Amino acid sequence: MNNLRLPPPRGSPSGLRLRSTHSSDHSPASNSKESKDRIVQQTDQDASQSRVSAVETGYLHDDFAKAFCAQEGARKFPLINRGTFVRTTALDRLVNTFLSASPNQRKQIICFGAGSDTRYFRLRQSLPPDALKNLVYHEIDFAAVTTSKVAAILRNQFLPSADIKAVDEAAGYLVADGYYIHPLDLRSLQPGCQMITGVEPDTPTLFISECCLIYLSPEEADAIVRWSTGDFTGSVGMVIYEPIGGEDAFGKVMIQNLASRGIVLKTLKKYSTLERQRLRFKALGFVDGQQAADVYFISEEWIGESEKERIARLEMLDEVEEWRLLARHYCVAWAWRGEEFAVWKGAVPLQTE
Amino acid sequence: MSDLDRYIELLRSCKPIPEASVRELCHKARELLIEESNVQIVDAPVTICGDIHGQFHDLMELFRVGGDVPDTNYLFMGDFVDRGFYSLESFLLLLSLKVRYPDRITLIRGNHESRQITTVYGFYDECMRKYGSASVWRHCCEVFDYLALGALVIGAGPSVGSGEEECELEVVQTNGDITRYRRGHGGHLGGPPGTGASGFSGGSSQSAGAVLCVHGGLSPVIATVDSIRLLDRKQEVPHEGAMCDLLWSDPDDIDGWGLSPRGAGFLFGSDIVKHFNYANNLSLIARAHQLVMEGFKEMFDSSIVTVWSAPNYCYRCGNVAAILELNEENGAILRSSGERGGGVTGGIGGGGMTVRAGPGRRYRVYEAAPQDSRGMPAKKPVADYFLLQ
Repeated sequence: MNNLRLPPPRGSPSGLRLRSTHSSDHSPASNSKESKDRIVQQTDQDASQSRVSAVETGYLHDDFAKAFCAQEGARKFPLINRGTFVRTTALDRLVNTFLSASPNQRKQIICFGAGSDTRYFRLRQSLPPDALKNLVYHEIDFAAVTTSKVAAILRNQFLPSADIKAVDEAAGYLVADGYYIHPLDLRSLQPGCQMITGVEPDTPTLFISECCLIYLSPEEADAIVRWSTGDFTGSVGMVIYEPIGGEDAFGKVMIQNLASRGIVLKTLKKYSTLERQRLRFKALGFVDGQQAADVYFISEEWIGESEKERIARLEMLDEVEEWRLLARHYCVAWAWRGEEFAVWKGAVPLQTE
Repeated sequence: MSDLDRYIELLRSCKPIPEASVRELCHKARELLIEESNVQIVDAPVTICGDIHGQFHDLMELFRVGGDVPDTNYLFMGDFVDRGFYSLESFLLLLSLKVRYPDRITLIRGNHESRQITTVYGFYDECMRKYGSASVWRHCCEVFDYLALGALVIGAGPSVGSGEEECELEVVQTNGDITRYRRGHGGHLGGPPGTGASGFSGGSSQSAGAVLCVHGGLSPVIATVDSIRLLDRKQEVPHEGAMCDLLWSDPDDIDGWGLSPRGAGFLFGSDIVKHFNYANNLSLIARAHQLVMEGFKEMFDSSIVTVWSAPNYCYRCGNVAAILELNEENGAILRSSGERGGGVTGGIGGGGMTVRAGPGRRYRVYEAAPQDSRGMPAKKPVADYFLLQ
């Protein structure tokens, strides 16, 4: 008989890969809060590998993705690459719209569960010097995640050493000119909590959550959003990206499949539709505007024709129905309060349900 | 017990066979397939199946629902490999059944039966993982080049069932619920906005036309079934042209032809299908290629149907699957009322066009094999979700 003689090559089923990365700590008995947190932290690995895959296949340009990817995985299927591309492009567009308006205004970005995200370093490359000088960027994540990020930044010298004001590699803490990495459990953020070092509550602030708040309980997630609108006095905006629609056949299977990996999407039920996402932000203080669109809509309406053609040429997408199905189960939602975010009005095509 | 029967037994339990046996099996299969026409003629009754995609345990479920080979005559419309975790076992089982019972199973080529696509979508990697070299993948790809491009089912009867149960269309759901639709009774067909057998009237009794089975669909450069027969199919699937289109195209609610979002093949509208069927004396085109949440979907006044046979596709999509059974012509009792027969579908070129009455169709719907029946190498498949931070 033939045995498994070789290690899995490129493109092996993700299941096998995931099992091997989890094997040391994924015993059924390890049901503690810590082990649940660890599983959520490991989703960053997944996102990071997806980003590398999308970069290597030519969907995205990102000089930092590889350096922040702790463990390279197999190349992802075209559908996953396309999703990574659309998600990144959509968030970049909203972020850039905010940053490019009134470049002399000081602005702040706070990224929840930033993980191995490369956005700050990409902004350093692309922003005009004035806009960059006026930007303060905070990343918040578990220390387990930020330590390897801080190490990668130092190892690759992504920041000029003169810019680095304080760094603790073991703690996963970094303070640089206009850039902070905070090893912090997001659940400590709630209205009235002690303000994080370096965070400016009166500077116009954009909050970003990419598949992050959804892992928290609805109460915890809502508290963070309320903190964003309540403890910040200036203009505030938020962009989130997360799964929706857990009630149909696809959604039920998604919930089951993720549960078997120990991942629970805790706010999915409460914020399962575009409408619920909009109402969520309205209720939690982003009173001036609330919008949401699913990833399929975004892929059709936000991406220009020439870019669509470029993407179509990169890889053959063998199954369009599956792509529609998957992409309709993820959304980008964005909401704001205050004039610095008025530029979001009319900035992108809107989805009417 | 012959070697072949031994392979079949091994493969039925989802175990791969030795490399030398794969080579031998593929060699025999090529000898058999080389004799087949680009468009194989298949006599009804036959059970038509769509994409399998390496979902071995669901293929076993298909056989449980549809009957075993050789008791049931099967026609598989391609996409045996890629995506699922058992492409090798699924394809080799079907191939060994083909070699063992050549007249009871027909395999036609899908767009995934290609070197280029299998290196992206999993089959190549699976072969490397299970054998440590690409030689098994190469043997399989050589077989792919010999697979027929389509099949023509002839002799299908206008009804399924008999007596009180005789009807044009029957849907057997997972839970055993049966829905029947009779000609001229209208009714809405299960399957997403599928069209019912409605509006047929008059016409003299005649047998149903032939059913063309192809993985994807039609091509703007193919006007007749005979012109498919003229293609040189023994090659890798080209990036464009007739052969590519047959494996890649999709029906869509458009007029005429359109560009395909897949980057290969075309979209084609109802007018194209109705003209093609009329010109070629077809009553139906059966194709696969597109995920359908309800397992099957009839379009364009039942002139074309999509059959999808991979339940919970990619262990992620939550869909059910279906197979399509066509009865033989004298398998049903003819009615004297003349209710059955050539119907008229209006709206083509303003003048209306008489098309052949569709064959009687029984769809058997089924779900993914239960987790605990997944047999010995019961690796629990884990689906990839893009996009977790």
